[in-house]
Amino acid sequence: MIKLENVTKEYKGSSIALKDASAEISKGEFVFLVGPSGSGKSTFLRLLNKQEVADSGRVLVNGKDVGGLHAWKVPLLRRQIGCVFQDFKLLPSRTVRENVSFALEVIGKPKHIIETQVPAICELVGLGEKMDKYPHQLSGGEQQRVSIARAFVNRPVILLADEPTGNLDPQTANGIMWLLDRINRSANTTVVMATHDRGIVDTMRRRVIELSHGSIVRDQSRGVYD
Amino acid sequence: MAVRFDYIAKETAYNIVRNPSLSIATVLTVAVSLSLLGAAMVIREGVSGLQTRFKDDVEFIIWINNDASDEQVASVQRALDDSPVVKSSTFVNRAQTFAEFEEYFAESPEVLAAVTPEDLPTSFRVVPVNPELSVVEQLGRQFAPLPGVRQVDFAGDYIRRLNQFSSAASITMTVAALASGLASSLLMYNTIRTALFARRREVEVMRLVGATNWFIRIPFMLEGLLQGLVGAAFSAGAVLALNGVVGDAVRNADFRLFDSFALTDNQLWGITLILLAAGALIGAVGSGVAVSRYLDA
Repeated sequence: MIKLENVTKEYKGSSIALKDASAEISKGEFVFLVGPSGSGKSTFLRLLNKQEVADSGRVLVNGKDVGGLHAWKVPLLRRQIGCVFQDFKLLPSRTVRENVSFALEVIGKPKHIIETQVPAICELVGLGEKMDKYPHQLSGGEQQRVSIARAFVNRPVILLADEPTGNLDPQTANGIMWLLDRINRSANTTVVMATHDRGIVDTMRRRVIELSHGSIVRDQSRGVYD
Repeated sequence: MAVRFDYIAKETAYNIVRNPSLSIATVLTVAVSLSLLGAAMVIREGVSGLQTRFKDDVEFIIWINNDASDEQVASVQRALDDSPVVKSSTFVNRAQTFAEFEEYFAESPEVLAAVTPEDLPTSFRVVPVNPELSVVEQLGRQFAPLPGVRQVDFAGDYIRRLNQFSSAASITMTVAALASGLASSLLMYNTIRTALFARRREVEVMRLVGATNWFIRIPFMLEGLLQGLVGAAFSAGAVLALNGVVGDAVRNADFRLFDSFALTDNQLWGITLILLAAGALIGAVGSGVAVSRYLDA
């Protein structure tokens, strides 16, 4: 499903972000990317949906070389990859329903699909009652649920999460993890989550890829934080 | 991928309503810039109208000696009639000349009292086929040596100066129009960029969920197009008002020289259409280019 072959990525004027990194992730896996800030976790994720392009090496998603993908095919790649962020990236002037619908509208989905999918996914993330609320009327955990609903409403095969619990208290974070776990298990969605939340990693006991200064220093199934 | 028109219409309306201050800023920028352009076009049309009028009226006058014989006058007449480069010629007799003289010196009765029709020369007013100044002068000189001709006057220097003035004015106005067109494009681009900066998260989300570049651009471009059209409509109003003021001034003036500055309805429609097209184009293209900043290459 996801394969990195000797990938190196360097940002101009700063230290190396990813150095000769190789890893393979199968369909339906749940993988934690751990390591301190600046260790290359975000770059790892951003390479997968071509927000960044590797300097050398290959990034394969679904068997396709992402770096060599034509510009017009990039949107098609991104429709298969949902994204969740630490800062939610919700649109503040739109309701929960509108935020989630937006993800389907802008890829040209017909109205009848939107009208059935959006309430269903909102129900799934536990916000069925709050569909007409605005983001500022929701708690942090609820906002992250909206962002997960938006990322998952198009049923992507891969879900990327960059520090999704970084802004949440431990109890709320557990709720989010329970939701991601459910999406992973029930829909066989591949989940790659960057985090430095030790408690979560240790509790979940899933595969752990540890990065340090851009290098993969550990790749362990059913691992712990360190 | 089907482009959903209800989505585009909804998004466009939503964006305009949600961000009224930036919409107003964009509309005003277009209105002001296009008003400059429109004013330049009005003046340019007026100047080129002026030029046409003088070209039409170019003529020279062959003054006949007071002691010239009828035969000499008739031979000048024949020479004019036979010339293929003369469009028309009119003989002006003493009475007609005196009538013009009276009109000219209406304010000075003492001058009039001293002159009788017999004191004044007769003349031919000539309109050549080709109104080019050099051709007119050359043609006029051919008649000067004929017997009975006292002198040939042409609007010569006078016309040359007017021609110079009007072509200089015309070039100036073209440059001004181009400069204000460029300025308005840049102003628009900046305003739209500011508007888009406020919405970069929206564009970012669109990109991340896999919207194509054109799908992202279209609502922004349509919004820019509408704002451009509204701004252009305001500027067209300003041009009409300007033309009204100029038209009144021209009609109230004593001389008809600048009549061409009051534009005809056709000219005004032309300018209005150009302004609307320019507004729509600047709005749509400006938005399209500005939004590209936030898209993948």
